[in-house]
Amino acid sequence: MSTKLNVSDGDAVRAVLEGNREMYRVLVRRYQDTLYQHALRMVGRADDAADIVQRALVNGFEKLGRCRDPEKVGGWLFQIMSNLCKDFLKSPRRDDLSIDGASATVIDRSDPSDDLERGEMRASVRQALEKLNAEQREAFVLKHLEGRSYDEMSELLGVSKSALKMRVLRAREELQFMLKVYQ
Amino acid sequence: MNPDLRAYLDGELTYEKLSPELRAEAAAWDGLVQEMKQSEPAGAPPWLEGAVMTEVSVMPAPASKETALQWLLRSRTIHMSPLTGALAAAAILVVLLLPREPQSVTTDPAVITTAILVEFKLEAPGATSVALAGDFNDWRTDLVMEDRDGDGIWTGRVPIQPGVHKYMFVIDGTEWVTDPDAERYADDGFGNRNAVLAVTPVT
Repeated sequence: MSTKLNVSDGDAVRAVLEGNREMYRVLVRRYQDTLYQHALRMVGRADDAADIVQRALVNGFEKLGRCRDPEKVGGWLFQIMSNLCKDFLKSPRRDDLSIDGASATVIDRSDPSDDLERGEMRASVRQALEKLNAEQREAFVLKHLEGRSYDEMSELLGVSKSALKMRVLRAREELQFMLKVYQ
Repeated sequence: MNPDLRAYLDGELTYEKLSPELRAEAAAWDGLVQEMKQSEPAGAPPWLEGAVMTEVSVMPAPASKETALQWLLRSRTIHMSPLTGALAAAAILVVLLLPREPQSVTTDPAVITTAILVEFKLEAPGATSVALAGDFNDWRTDLVMEDRDGDGIWTGRVPIQPGVHKYMFVIDGTEWVTDPDAERYADDGFGNRNAVLAVTPVT
C-alpha cells in the first residue's frame, strides 16, 4: 500500500531543526538534480560539479538555522551552491588549469555531416563557455540554458535586473567573438 | 549587438518583428543555444544523496535561528573612553541615516520540482527485513522499511518525484513481492507483476 504525504520545504526544514535529520533527505532529493545541473554547466567537469553540490548540501545542513524563509530553502541552497561555483572558478588552481587565449573558433552551422564534426563543434562551444568569467557564465547559463526570466534571476541572485542584462549581453558578445556566431 | 536582436534574445521581441538579416542572426543564436543544450547534464550521480546523508549523520545538529538570535541579543559590556564613545555614536548615526539597498529575497520558484513523500506499507508477519525497490532508486534494495511495534506491518516513507513509478517489496533480501494493495499493476516481462504508483505534482 502507498500513501502520498505532502511535505513542504518549510515542514522539512522545521523537522530537521527539531532533530529529525533524516528529513534533510527530502530536501537533498528535491534539489540535488537542479543544483548538479547548474553546477555542471558552470564548472564543466562532472566530478567537480558533484563535489561542489555535496559541499553545498552539507553546508546547507550545517547552516540551516540561518535560512530566513524555510519555504524558500531551494533558492537558499542554490545561492550556497552558486557561490561555491564562483569561488571554484576564481580559485588559483582553476587558473592554472584553464586554457589560455581567446582564439576564435569558426562554427560552421550548415548541417554538420558527421558525428566527429558535431563533436568538435560541441567541444568548441563548451570551451568558449568556459572562457567567460564566472558572473557572465552564470548569467548566460541561467538565462539561455535554464530559460529563466530576469525577474527570477534577480530574485535568485540578489542582483538587479539591469546588471544581469548587462552580464548576459557581455557574455553574448564574448561568445560571438570566440565562436563567430554569425558573420 | 543590435538592440532588436538583443531584445529578441532577452525575450522582449518576437521573431516576426525582426528584419530578415536579423532573423538569420537570431536563428544562429538559437542554434548555438540548442547546441549547448544538446550536451545537457543528467541528474546528480546516484551516490551523491548517500554521501551527503552520511556526512550529515555525523555532524552536530544544525543550530536553530533562535540560537543565533540569542547570540546576537546577548548583553555585552564594552569599555571605551568618552571620546571613543562619541565617535562610535556618530558612526552609528551615519550608518542609520545611509540609504538602504532593498533586501533580496532568496527564492527560486522555477527550480522547485516538488517531490511527494509517499508512505509504503506491507503486511509481512514473520519477515526479518522488508525493503522497497523501484525505478525511483534504480531497483536497489537499500530503502529499508520498519516494523517498530512488531505487529508485522512494515512501513517506510520515501520522497518521490512526480511521475509514474514501478516498485516491488523485497522480503528478507531475496523474496520479491508485489504490493497486494497497489493502485495499478504492470507486467515486468519476466512473468511477475510490478506495482504501479502515479505521483502527481502538488499544485
